[in-house]
Amino acid sequence: MPRLAKQGSVVLAFVVLLIALPHGLSFSQQEILVFLTINVLLVTSYRLLTLTGEWSLAHVVIMGVGAYSSALYSKELGIYVPVSMLLGACTAALIAMFLSYPLFRMKGFYFLIGSFAAGEIIRLLWKRFRDPFGGPKGLKKIDPMPDFDIGIWQFDFFEPVSYYYFALVVVGLSLWLMWRIERSPIGLTFHAVHWQDKLAQSVGVDVRAYRTLAFVLASGFSGLSGALLAHYIGTINPNSFDVEMMVFVLTWAIVGGTETFYGPILGCIVLTIFNEVVLRELGFEQMRPFIYGLLMICSVLFLPKGLESVVQKLLLRRANGDKQKEEKADPKESEA
Amino acid sequence: MVELLAQTGLNALYAGSYMSLVAVGLVLIFGVMGVINFAHGELFMLGAYAVVALYADLQMPFILAVALGLIFVGLVGIGMERVMFRPLRDNPLGGLVASIGFLMILQAVAVMGFGVRMEHVPPATQEIIVFSEKVRLPLARLYVIVAAVVFLTALWAFLTKTRFGWALRASAQDPEAAALQGISINQTSRIAMFIGAALAGVAGALTAPLVSVNPHMGHSVIVTAFIVIIVGGIGSLEGAVVAAFAYSVVHTVVTTFWDGVIADIVGLSLMLVVLIVKPTGLFGTADRA
Amino acid sequence: MIIKMLKNGLSRRRFLGSAASVAGVTAVSGVSTRVLAAEKVIKIGFLAPLTGPVAAWGKPGLDGCQIWAEKINAAGGIKLADGDYMVEFIGYDNEYDPAKARTGATKLIREDEVKFVMMLGGDTWPGAQPVADKTGMLFSTLLPSDLAPDTVTLVAPTEVHPIYNVTGVEWLAENKPDLKTAVMCAQDDALGLPSVATYLAAFEAAGIEMIEEPLLFDPATTDFAPVVTKLIADDPQIVCLDTCYSDYVHPIAEQLFQQGYKGQIISCTADFYDQMIAKTSVEFMEGFIFQFPDFDDPALNSEDINFPDPNGFFADYNERYPGEWGAVSWEYASIMDLWKAAAEKAGSAEPDAVLAAMKEGGKGMHAFGIADWWGKDLFGIDNALVGNWPVVVIEGGKARIKAFKSIPEWYAKHGDLLKKHMTAYNQMWDQRG
Repeated sequence: MPRLAKQGSVVLAFVVLLIALPHGLSFSQQEILVFLTINVLLVTSYRLLTLTGEWSLAHVVIMGVGAYSSALYSKELGIYVPVSMLLGACTAALIAMFLSYPLFRMKGFYFLIGSFAAGEIIRLLWKRFRDPFGGPKGLKKIDPMPDFDIGIWQFDFFEPVSYYYFALVVVGLSLWLMWRIERSPIGLTFHAVHWQDKLAQSVGVDVRAYRTLAFVLASGFSGLSGALLAHYIGTINPNSFDVEMMVFVLTWAIVGGTETFYGPILGCIVLTIFNEVVLRELGFEQMRPFIYGLLMICSVLFLPKGLESVVQKLLLRRANGDKQKEEKADPKESEA
Repeated sequence: MVELLAQTGLNALYAGSYMSLVAVGLVLIFGVMGVINFAHGELFMLGAYAVVALYADLQMPFILAVALGLIFVGLVGIGMERVMFRPLRDNPLGGLVASIGFLMILQAVAVMGFGVRMEHVPPATQEIIVFSEKVRLPLARLYVIVAAVVFLTALWAFLTKTRFGWALRASAQDPEAAALQGISINQTSRIAMFIGAALAGVAGALTAPLVSVNPHMGHSVIVTAFIVIIVGGIGSLEGAVVAAFAYSVVHTVVTTFWDGVIADIVGLSLMLVVLIVKPTGLFGTADRA
Repeated sequence: MIIKMLKNGLSRRRFLGSAASVAGVTAVSGVSTRVLAAEKVIKIGFLAPLTGPVAAWGKPGLDGCQIWAEKINAAGGIKLADGDYMVEFIGYDNEYDPAKARTGATKLIREDEVKFVMMLGGDTWPGAQPVADKTGMLFSTLLPSDLAPDTVTLVAPTEVHPIYNVTGVEWLAENKPDLKTAVMCAQDDALGLPSVATYLAAFEAAGIEMIEEPLLFDPATTDFAPVVTKLIADDPQIVCLDTCYSDYVHPIAEQLFQQGYKGQIISCTADFYDQMIAKTSVEFMEGFIFQFPDFDDPALNSEDINFPDPNGFFADYNERYPGEWGAVSWEYASIMDLWKAAAEKAGSAEPDAVLAAMKEGGKGMHAFGIADWWGKDLFGIDNALVGNWPVVVIEGGKARIKAFKSIPEWYAKHGDLLKKHMTAYNQMWDQRG
């Protein structure tokens, strides 16, 4: 089968699978699916940032910036929800821009801790000021997505399935954008800045500008994921975006691996299913954090290159298998 | 007003004491092993629970419970080094993730062993030193201050006057050169980990009768510790001590005259300012980042 | 295995209790209530934090419910129009996160088909609310501040935080009229603030002067020395600890003791007060006023009390879960008593029938006596069961119920003050959200 057609049919099959997926799940699993989709966007946007080699601990707080702003725009200013979501994403990007001035004077470990401090300060500001952030209780009764009907499907956005489709479209588009960015000259420069920053600088690349660009872009997408979350649950508070959540994102990225585009996504999906579905079904309440922690340790010890390395090995084996099949076919042809 | 300031000063002295023990431990681990030990707050918690088990439940003498707690947490530290940090020596992010996993395990163990509610440790002593009507220092808090002085002095002596200590400092400065000189990096890591963990553990053990012991008590400790070591300078032990006291004074004063959340914001902002203006911190020199 | 290791060396008291909770099984039935497939079962959902920093407000409640279920099932279960049903609790750990509360509500209602969901409430209620609205399921919360005009299927039938706090202040003013100045401290979170407003109103009603603004501290505080130093700087006669969690009440009391405070202390809770006495002294804690009785208090055996066999429950609980008794331990079980009575009256376990039966006549059998369905002024809806509440005072090292005071009666006299202060702190139902 010609290669392009083969790839095309795989993609089509994948899309069909995604659309059909929620109908095979229980109600609560559908809810988890929605959160999973949003988190995929979150973790992929994190990877975009790590392309330049910097690891930030403010990413989840910036997601919160997107959530809080979108919630406030729609609630206080009455802006139409999908528009407020985009505005929320832009606000997150803007805040990131603002933060980049102090933060990008640091590198490595210092940037890590500095980003943590900046994030925590923002979070404490939400906590301290009841007006307009709602203080420790946060915001409630955030406007949901307005329901609409497209004929074949009635979008009732309370239902997880509807919101899942909506989120799927938004997340899919965002992932495609991030993929394109990574493949573009900008993306290549990100890689250069990560691995060869001195060399890049010597050919006139403004390293700091590119770091800032990656940070701002990643933050915009992160803010979008926050907005998606806010309008689904309808309530957010400072604890939704605390360091525990950031640790989860970090773990998904590291356990999944950040060398490939899909690594963090893989980490996110596997670990979330493990934590929310498997461990809960087994009924281990107090043991859940224990087992999760054990999993984290084992995966960095035994799978240091992440889950993506397992996938890559499987693909490599298959590719070699295909190659062997082709070679077997060829000598026979040339013989004849 | 004078009395308020004096009492505030005493409060800050106590806070700075246990904070400096924790921070110095964290710096030692980072300095010698290059790894950020996110589980450091939980080592503090472990020390507190050791006292709960030995002193509150088994009714051992307080000093003995603290001593055993110190050794126990030190040994846990050695275990961490062997199982997690040594194999992950070339993968600092991996070490970070592993330490996060370990902190989750420690919290879960505390919950499983002791339940979700806070624990109550009877006071080590109820004596109070009364300077004046409004200015008092409970003897139990003085213990913590004295212990900090004793342990930090002992550590200083160890690092400057013994062979092991010298080896530790050499490893921290330049691990390759140290290895060339025949200093075993495994051994120095073990020692650093034991001492670092033990310091956190003893801080937890000593403060157990004074604070609420619960499985999540390590969280605020680690956040403060990070602020302190950044401000003090990432590789500097003296910096950690000075910064611990300076931070405690600022935080205590702001809490007393405004409120705790503002104090947290001030502390974090201070850290950011230091990171922007002088990233190596007040005393920092060698950059291991 | 860890538990076995520790068990050998350490006190039985602690580890037996924890071993029970280590099993951590979420579908809680207990040995004697393991139901046969043929028996009829009603499932009740328990959606609360079972792990994490707020677990102390959820997990002990589930344990109390377990004891309740065993007793009820042993006596034949719940008697409805079409037969007797055994009770089974299904727990879901929402980790005090609204997103997980939503998922949990969906699972409990749409998959496990529970007939009633009990929650802690607070931050998690708004997450579960859309599910409640869509399915019409009956929910209960421990926090009346969750109530609003649109929460028609949510009831707050036991805990009437924070309004019960007025009873303590009223009793204080009546019995110690020479105490005229007060200060207050509270943790700055969803529980602390409405309670602050309530205490302020209560003090004002009693003619007691607040000499300082209420001191709000960060919930993450571990060192209370600076807080207390500030608190007693102007020599108040009364120190009010608002609704501080026991994690705070203990260190604060200890600091008050160590910093030489000799005045009156009033608080909402005082869990493990025996430990507080150990850290301070019997004399220091003498006269400490709070709102939660020990269930072995003989005053609870009076006829007005609607909690069946409180002394027995207390003994059972302490035997199975030593060291875990607190306010939350009995409250959820008390809600179950109310639910059971309403279900049996209606003959059905369906949420709308039970709710109607519960609220019929505008009165209900609250744990501490017959009470009114109340709350329109403060919450916009009469879904809080409010009546009498005990005032507990520590005397000679033991907590004793000194009086039961009526909240609706206080409100009839001083309701305006309460509304005024609630409004000032943005806690009125029309100000929230």
